[in-house]
Amino acid sequence: MTGRIALQLALSGLSVGSIYAIVALSLAIPFKASRVLNFAQGELVTLGAYIALVLTSYGLPYAVIVPATLLIAAAFGLLIERLVIRPIVDAPEFTLVIATFALGLIIRALIRIHWQDNVYFLPAPYAGAAFAIGPLRVNPSYLVIIGTTAVLVALLVLFFARTKLGKAMRAVSFNPIAARLMGIRVSTVFGSAWALSAAIGALAGLLLAPVIGINPELGHLISKALVAAVIGGFGSLGGALFGGLLLGVLETYAGAMFGAAFKEIIPFAILIAILLVRPQGLWGATHARV
Amino acid sequence: MPAGTRLFLAFATCVALASAPLAAAAEQGVTADSIAIGAFGPITGPAAYIGLAGRDGAAMAIKEINAAGGINGRKLNMTFEDDGHSPAKALAAAKKLVDDDKVFVLFNVAGSNGTIGTIDYVKEKDIVMFVSFASAPGVTWPFAKNLFRGGTTEVPRYGELYAEYIVDGLKAQKIGIISGREEYPKNEGDALTKQLQKWYQITPVKRVEFNIGDKDFTPQLLELQQANPQVIAFFGNPAEAAIALRQAKELGLNQPFFVGTTMVDQGLLTAAGPAAEGATGFALIPLLPGSSDPAMKAWRAKWSAEYPNLPPNRPNIFDVLAYADMYVLAEGIRNAGKDLTSAKLIDALENIHDYRVGPIASPRTFAKNHHIGNLGLQPMQVRNGEWVRMPWQSKRPSDILQRYQ
Repeated sequence: MTGRIALQLALSGLSVGSIYAIVALSLAIPFKASRVLNFAQGELVTLGAYIALVLTSYGLPYAVIVPATLLIAAAFGLLIERLVIRPIVDAPEFTLVIATFALGLIIRALIRIHWQDNVYFLPAPYAGAAFAIGPLRVNPSYLVIIGTTAVLVALLVLFFARTKLGKAMRAVSFNPIAARLMGIRVSTVFGSAWALSAAIGALAGLLLAPVIGINPELGHLISKALVAAVIGGFGSLGGALFGGLLLGVLETYAGAMFGAAFKEIIPFAILIAILLVRPQGLWGATHARV
Repeated sequence: MPAGTRLFLAFATCVALASAPLAAAAEQGVTADSIAIGAFGPITGPAAYIGLAGRDGAAMAIKEINAAGGINGRKLNMTFEDDGHSPAKALAAAKKLVDDDKVFVLFNVAGSNGTIGTIDYVKEKDIVMFVSFASAPGVTWPFAKNLFRGGTTEVPRYGELYAEYIVDGLKAQKIGIISGREEYPKNEGDALTKQLQKWYQITPVKRVEFNIGDKDFTPQLLELQQANPQVIAFFGNPAEAAIALRQAKELGLNQPFFVGTTMVDQGLLTAAGPAAEGATGFALIPLLPGSSDPAMKAWRAKWSAEYPNLPPNRPNIFDVLAYADMYVLAEGIRNAGKDLTSAKLIDALENIHDYRVGPIASPRTFAKNHHIGNLGLQPMQVRNGEWVRMPWQSKRPSDILQRYQ
C-alpha cells in the first residue's frame, strides 16, 4: 500500500467515522442524563433526513432547511421523552431499551407507509466536484462531514462546561437525587437531553443524505455507533468521538487490506480485544469526562 | 338387488354428485370468476427498488386486464408478499401463497437472492412460477417444466454477452471487476470472469468485492486503480453503483465503467449524475423508462396517473418488466382456455412466440426445450446524461443456449 493510498483511505475512514461519532454522541447524551440507551436513535437519523426532504419539497433554501430540521427533530425528541420515556423511566433498564427499540420500529414503519423503500435524493449546496490537495482527491461532502463533527464536539464541550443547562445535565447524570435537591428540574434536563440528542441524530441524517440518498434504512448504523461509543467509553463525549473515528478508519483499512468480508469482522474483533483489556473503553478512565 | 347394494349405490351416487362441482373447479386458485396469482419480491430493504416496481407494474397490468373484462370470464386477483431480499423469507412467502392462500400460479418479482430460496420448493409443489427478474441460473437450468423466466436471461448468458462486448465492443484486454457478495452481483462477476477466460483467455487484472448496502467503495476503487484496468465492470445495486461511480471520479479513476443490467436505468443517472457519463451496459428492455419515444411517453403517463406520488426515479425498468411479464402470463392463461389447469398453462406458455404487450417490452418466446423468454439484450451507453443505444451486435454463437437444443 502506497503512502497516497494510505492517506486516501484515512480520509475516507475519517468521514465514515465522523458519522459514527455523531450518532455515538447522540446516544451518549440521553444516556448520560437519563441512563436510557435509545435504540431508536438510528431512526431519528433517518427521520432527520425525511424532515429535510419534506422541507425541500416546499422550495425552502438549504440555509433554512438545516435549522428547521434540527428544531423539528428536537421537538420530536422532546415529545418522545414526554410521551414514551417519562411514564416508564423507573422501569427496569431492559424495559426501557425494548421500548426505544419498539419506537424505532414504529418510526421506520410509519416512514415506509408514506415513502415506501424508494430512494430519494437531497441536494446540498456543498456537494460539488472533488478537488486535489497534494496527492489526495478530496470530496467536499467528506470535508463538511468531518468539519461539522469537529465543530459539534467543540460546541458540546462548551455546552457542558459553560452553560447552566449543560452543567445541570452533568449534575443529573452523576446523581439525579442530589441534583434535584440542589434545585435542578430533573424533568427539564431529561427533556432537553432527548431534544438535543434527536437534533444531533437529525444532523447526521442531513450529512448522510446527500452522500448516500434517503431511504428508511438510512439510519441503520446504530450497531456501529454503539460500538464506537463503547470503544471510546460509554457516556463520554470525547470517547464517542474517538471511538467513532477509530472504528471508521479501522473498517476502511480492514476492507482495503483483507477484503469486504473482513470489513465487518476486524473492527468488532478489535472491539472485543479492547474490552478484554479495558472494559471501561479507551477513553473511559484516564480522561476526565466532559 | 340386495338392500345393502342399493344402499351402497345410492351413497356412491350422492358422493359422485356432491363431488362433481369440485372436480370441475379442482385446480387450486381457480374459481368460476377469478384466478388467484401469488406474487412476491422485496419491498423493504436494499433491493426494494426491484420489488416495489415489480408489485406496481404487475398490479397496473392486472388492473388493465380486469378492466378489459378479465381472461376467459375470470378476473385476476394478485396477493403480494414481501421477501425482504432473503432466500428464507422468499421461501416463507412462496409457501404462504401456495399452501395458505392457495394461489394458482406464482409471479416472482424477487431478485436472484430471494428466488434461489424458492426453486426447490416450487419444483416439489409442481406449481407454475413465472420469474420476471431473477437471472439466477437455477430458474431455467437444469430445465424444469414449471419454471419460466420472463424479462431476464440466464446469468451465464450475461457472462457471454458482457465478455464479448467488453473485449470486442470496448476493445479492452485489462478488465477490473467490482461486485457485490450476494447472489445476483456475485453471479454476474463469476459469469464474466469465467467467460473472459473461456473465450478470450483473459484473467481480470483485479477483482474486488463489497457488501450489500455498503456506502464507501474507496478501498475497492483504490485497489482497482493500482491494477490500472482499461474497463471496470461493476455488479451490484444502482444505489451502490452511483456511489462507486462518484467516488471513482473523485479518486481520479477515469476508466469507463461497464455496469450490470440492473443499473441500465434512469435511477443510476439520477443518483450518479455526471459521474455516470460514459458508463455502458446491457438493457433488458428496448425503451428505458426515461426514453422520449412516444410509446414509452404514453406508457409513463399512464403509469404516473396510476402512481402519482412516487419519486422521480420511478417508473424504473422493473416496473416495465413486471408490467410486460404480467401480460405474458395473462396471454398464457388466456390461451390455456376456459378449463384452466397448470398443465394447460405450461403448454400455452410454451407456445408463446414473440409476444409483447407493446413497443416498451422485449418480445418473449418460450419453447418446449427452454423457458428463457427474453434473449434480446441491447448495449447502451450514457451520453450527455442519457442512455443511448450502441450499434453493436453479438457475433459469437452462445454456448449456453446450445445446451437447450
